[in-house]
Amino acid sequence: MRLLEALRTRWAVWVWNHTPNCAEMSRLTSLSFEQPHSLKLRLKMRLHYFICVWCERYARHLKFLHRVAPILPAKVEGVSHHELSEASKRRMAARLREERRP
Amino acid sequence: MEEHGDYLFKFALVRLRDATKAEDMVQETFLAALKGGDRFTGRSAEKSWLAGILKHKILDYYRKAGRETSFTDLDFYSDEESDRFIQDGIFKGGWIHELGPMEWSPDPGTGLDSEAFWQTFRDCANKLPKNISTVFTMREVDGVESKEICRLLNISENNLWVMLHRARMALRRCLETNWFGKQT
Repeated sequence: MRLLEALRTRWAVWVWNHTPNCAEMSRLTSLSFEQPHSLKLRLKMRLHYFICVWCERYARHLKFLHRVAPILPAKVEGVSHHELSEASKRRMAARLREERRP
Repeated sequence: MEEHGDYLFKFALVRLRDATKAEDMVQETFLAALKGGDRFTGRSAEKSWLAGILKHKILDYYRKAGRETSFTDLDFYSDEESDRFIQDGIFKGGWIHELGPMEWSPDPGTGLDSEAFWQTFRDCANKLPKNISTVFTMREVDGVESKEICRLLNISENNLWVMLHRARMALRRCLETNWFGKQT
């Protein structure tokens, strides 16, 4: 049992020493939405997830944001109570009438 | 205008976060539609056609703003997140476990129909500094390519990446604190 624990610790330390640290992982995770990483770096990031549940969660959370962000305007339209004021509408209508005039 | 004015205003407000500018953009959109009305083929809905014009007007506005002011906002969150990482020792740069990302439960996908979730999302997005919010909206909401954003706003790709990283980090943290951390 103790041997297993020692092996697990050694494995975690080895992975830690051969992969980007968590602060760097958070930067690289965001960057992966902008440009593809090299295969080597992608493998290192995968390896890091084996020992770090926090970075794995971080990546999942960013994927979630990426997936739902395009829906935001449509949803905000539903929950937003901002509307053009009557005065603004009148002003715009006047400007449009002016433009229409020959 | 009666029919689509409010929709276009909300569309512009989400992106510009400035009621006066949003109003100006809506007016410019109607003027452009009036002038180019013969170009409306009826293939798309009138609302989508107007939204398309407005989107271009907003990008034009960003282009001008990018020429006139510095769009880079790198002070934001430069140090605030660093307190979540271990500062020294062999695990320097690792998450402090109690402060690291938590499991979002219930499954985040289940909140998408909730009005309260979107209100929280909008509030979190509104907390971002304006320039950071602008690049996030262009990239993640409107899907504008990185290179195009850099060209429009006159910023380097590196600066854009840093700004997006900080926007995502801040939004993630805000949603965790104000939504997922409160769900049971």
